[in-house]
Amino acid sequence: MAAINRYTDNTAPANPVVSPAKQSLPPAKTADSQSVLKRLQSELMALMMSGDSGISAFPEEDNIFCWKGTITGSKETVFEGTEYRLSFSFPNDYPFKPPKVKFETGCFHPNVDVYGNICLDILQDKWSSAYDVRTILLSIQSLLGEPNISSPLNTQAAQLWSNQEEYRKMVEKLYKPPTAA
Amino acid sequence: MEESTSFFCNLGVLDSLSDDGVQEILNTYAQFSAATQALLNGIGRLSLRSEFVAHVQSLCKHGLESLILNHFLRSLQENFEINGASEFWRHFDAYENIAILNTSNLPHSEEEVREVLCKALEEISSKKKCQEEFLSILVHALQSSRYDLMEKGRQYDSETEVVRLFAKYQLLVSSVLMATLPRHFPDLLHWYFKGKLEELSAIMAGELNEDYKFQCKDDMELDGKGRISSKSGQKDFNECYQLEKFSNIDKLVKSIGKVVLDLRNLGFTSMAEDAYASAIFSLLKAKVDSLADDDYRSSVLEPIKEWIKAVPLHFLHSLLAYLGNSAGNNSPFHSLKSSLAPCASSFNSGVDTPEGLIRWQSRLEYFAYETLQDLRIAKLFEIIVDYPDSSPAIEDLKQCLEYTGQHSKLVESFISALRYRLLTAGASTNDILHQYVSTIKALRTIDSAGVFLEAVGEPIREYLRGRKDTIKCIVTMLTDGTGGNSNVSGNTGDSLLEELNRDEEGQENVGIDDDFHADDKQAWINASRWEPDPVEADPLKGGRTRRKVDILGMLVSIIGSKDQLVNEYRVMLAEKLLNKSDYDIDSEIRTLELLKIHFGESSMQKCEIMLNDLIDSKRTNSNIKATINLPSQTAVDLKESVISMNDLDATIISSNFWPPIQDENINLPASVDHLLTDYAQRFNEIKTPRKLQWKKNLGTVKLELQFEDRELQFSVAPVHAVIIMQFQHKKSWSARSLAAAVGVPVDVLSRRINFWVNKGILSESRTADSTDHVYVLVESMIDTSKNVSNNGNNEDLMVGEDEGEGSVASVEDQIRKEMTVYEKFILGMLTNFGSMALDRIHNTLKMFCVADPSYDKSIQQLQSFLSGLVSEEKLELRDGMYLLKK
Repeated sequence: MAAINRYTDNTAPANPVVSPAKQSLPPAKTADSQSVLKRLQSELMALMMSGDSGISAFPEEDNIFCWKGTITGSKETVFEGTEYRLSFSFPNDYPFKPPKVKFETGCFHPNVDVYGNICLDILQDKWSSAYDVRTILLSIQSLLGEPNISSPLNTQAAQLWSNQEEYRKMVEKLYKPPTAA
Repeated sequence: MEESTSFFCNLGVLDSLSDDGVQEILNTYAQFSAATQALLNGIGRLSLRSEFVAHVQSLCKHGLESLILNHFLRSLQENFEINGASEFWRHFDAYENIAILNTSNLPHSEEEVREVLCKALEEISSKKKCQEEFLSILVHALQSSRYDLMEKGRQYDSETEVVRLFAKYQLLVSSVLMATLPRHFPDLLHWYFKGKLEELSAIMAGELNEDYKFQCKDDMELDGKGRISSKSGQKDFNECYQLEKFSNIDKLVKSIGKVVLDLRNLGFTSMAEDAYASAIFSLLKAKVDSLADDDYRSSVLEPIKEWIKAVPLHFLHSLLAYLGNSAGNNSPFHSLKSSLAPCASSFNSGVDTPEGLIRWQSRLEYFAYETLQDLRIAKLFEIIVDYPDSSPAIEDLKQCLEYTGQHSKLVESFISALRYRLLTAGASTNDILHQYVSTIKALRTIDSAGVFLEAVGEPIREYLRGRKDTIKCIVTMLTDGTGGNSNVSGNTGDSLLEELNRDEEGQENVGIDDDFHADDKQAWINASRWEPDPVEADPLKGGRTRRKVDILGMLVSIIGSKDQLVNEYRVMLAEKLLNKSDYDIDSEIRTLELLKIHFGESSMQKCEIMLNDLIDSKRTNSNIKATINLPSQTAVDLKESVISMNDLDATIISSNFWPPIQDENINLPASVDHLLTDYAQRFNEIKTPRKLQWKKNLGTVKLELQFEDRELQFSVAPVHAVIIMQFQHKKSWSARSLAAAVGVPVDVLSRRINFWVNKGILSESRTADSTDHVYVLVESMIDTSKNVSNNGNNEDLMVGEDEGEGSVASVEDQIRKEMTVYEKFILGMLTNFGSMALDRIHNTLKMFCVADPSYDKSIQQLQSFLSGLVSEEKLELRDGMYLLKK
């Protein structure tokens, strides 16, 4: 299982979504929209050809800056058998800035709030232009199985995490499979 | 006017009449009637005439002039009806069925009919003349009485009245004849004129031939010493001959002329004209038919025109001259004057050609054009099959169409011929393409703007698009003749390459034309040369400039995009280059340069790199050879090896730019493998940091096999060489162990080894184990001679089959590969969007599948691909929406 860029950093801000991400990168170069387009297209191609199971994403019909993603819960985690829909919104200066990623399907997870916002360092201050859609998806997939309990967005979920059986029941109770977009 | 005056006169006379006078008039009138009757019935006593005249004069005194005239004319009419017309028609009763019967079946009656016609005409003419005489007697009587009564001033008027009277009589005669006209008479006339014209045509044709012969003789004798004398002698003879001919023609024309004249006198002017016109036309049609026939190798338009001048126009000229003369001078002596003498002169000078004749000429020519055009259009398919041999016929057709403007007829007829004869499952793609190219070339002659070509070409293009091998055939056509494998029969390739060459030159010319600095004069010339598009032009198809007829462009338009063509060409080129054992790529470079002109540098870039690879390979190869005497770092001891570096030539390719190459692993013999490694090592030394990766299954191996009794040389694929080398030390191999030794699967081995079995070098036998075979080397020729001779015939076939296994992935394979990319995209979008309709998938693919290979399929292709995925149970189709099968 790929888990290269997994979230392990404990120093993430307590509430990273509310506070704007700090400008850890040098000021964005004036991004040529053409090159952004190229980059996204090649990412799409790479993603399609990679054949990773359980992750997928595709641009919406008319706008390559808005993608829909799909993640299935990894085996032998409490999320096994569930599927979550995500939305990606790429900024004009991508990949110098990270995309905005949200859960569209409700996800009972310590690092995901009720609005679907995700607390993941590579989507905030640890972003690097070397990341791409595929690595983001893989990171979120592994985040599902290995949450960061110390800085939760959903404290109930964080508390329940220690009891995996109960947690599993909670996930099943709250899970609503994504509908067709 | 005249009549009304006389009417008033009569009224005046009536008032002054006494009873005695009335009685006298009645008596005289009765006598007059009797005299008239007697006169007309031909009881021609002289006294009767004077008596008649006396009665007329006495009646005239009473002012009953018009009464007399009316009565006399009525009597004439009755008499003519009974004696003239009915008798005249009776002559022809026997030939009532002439029009129905085939004239050629009645040769005996032909002459008879002519005689009867002439006789009947003569009779009725004399009858008419006789009646006219009576009429003139009456006229004289009237005139003399009037002269007595009136002042001399009226005489002039009465003379015009005479003319009027005769005209009235003429009308009377023709109306009587017309009223009693039998239905078959026009046919009879037509038939008569036709026969006469054929006769004339035969004479004329003889004359033409003779002329031709004389000309030939003249030409031949031009260098002779006795040229002048012989020529003059000939001239005399010629003149004699001509005179005789003229008199013959003269006679003939005169006899026809007489008939026409008689008919005219009877009021059959238009009918006679119709008859000889239709005879001329049918003769002309027959002439055109016989000249045009099924021979497309020579132009027939000129001979037809000449014939028109020589026969029908000559005839018409003579006839008109004859008629003109006889009409001008009523005297028969004048009309008998030779009509040919003036005719010949006026004909040659052409200055005083009568207007009617010019009209006739244009009518005849138009008819000839139209006939020929219809003939050619009906046979256009065959003509184009024969193109360029048939170009004279095309040229004829062009002229005809310019004259008649019936291009749309051509388009319709040709399209239906195409549909019926070419665009069928039985026709091979190559034939269709060949015909298409010929069509383009042929129609380009007819219509340089390409408007009709557009219409005609569309069905062919449409059809070819539905064929799978179209692209392959086109590319083969393009590159064949440049020294490629000539699977295609015929010289199609040559002609297309020639076409490319010519276009290349053409482009240079265009460059001059488009010169920005063209002066005003040139601009004016260009502007004045502008012609509007023909009305049939489809305005949607763009302007004239865009419709430049470019064969290659039209071929590409079949395929849809040049990229596909270029791709196919790349595969073929790769195949060709990889099979080359020398580095000679001159012809490929030439082809590529030509293609670059048409498709642009950028699209041919990969091909260019491929060719450059070969050029580089040659250089690198010789560089490496140069290091041969230096010890290589690997220090392989090559002395033991039979083969030296000199025997090895490498083609070094930049695989990124080549089409995907079939990879098949084989175990090379150790010595060869060492050699390759050494070569790679030396390459690395020269070209650091680049390294060679051998594609061991590609290339050619030149082998020499030494047997006990013979030596054989072969040029084979590495696999074949590897297989046979295994037999060097061990004469017998089981299939399985051999496959293991060679390093290929058993099925591949058994396919490849067939090559040697067919050559009679290996023999195959079964073992106890039914799943295995044993191959044994055949050492001696004697055992196999029979075998070899048996297999000699299908050897080519086997090799051909073998070559079918290309070293480069075919375009079909590439398409399959492309489709797997699309499959991933489709699965990806369906994962994220749930279910999607066909057109949304199509649009999404178009939008986002843009990298290599970009999505360029039609929605129909996508649909069939999707239904394939559905049948593979990867997708589900529900209510028109596709979704992932869970």
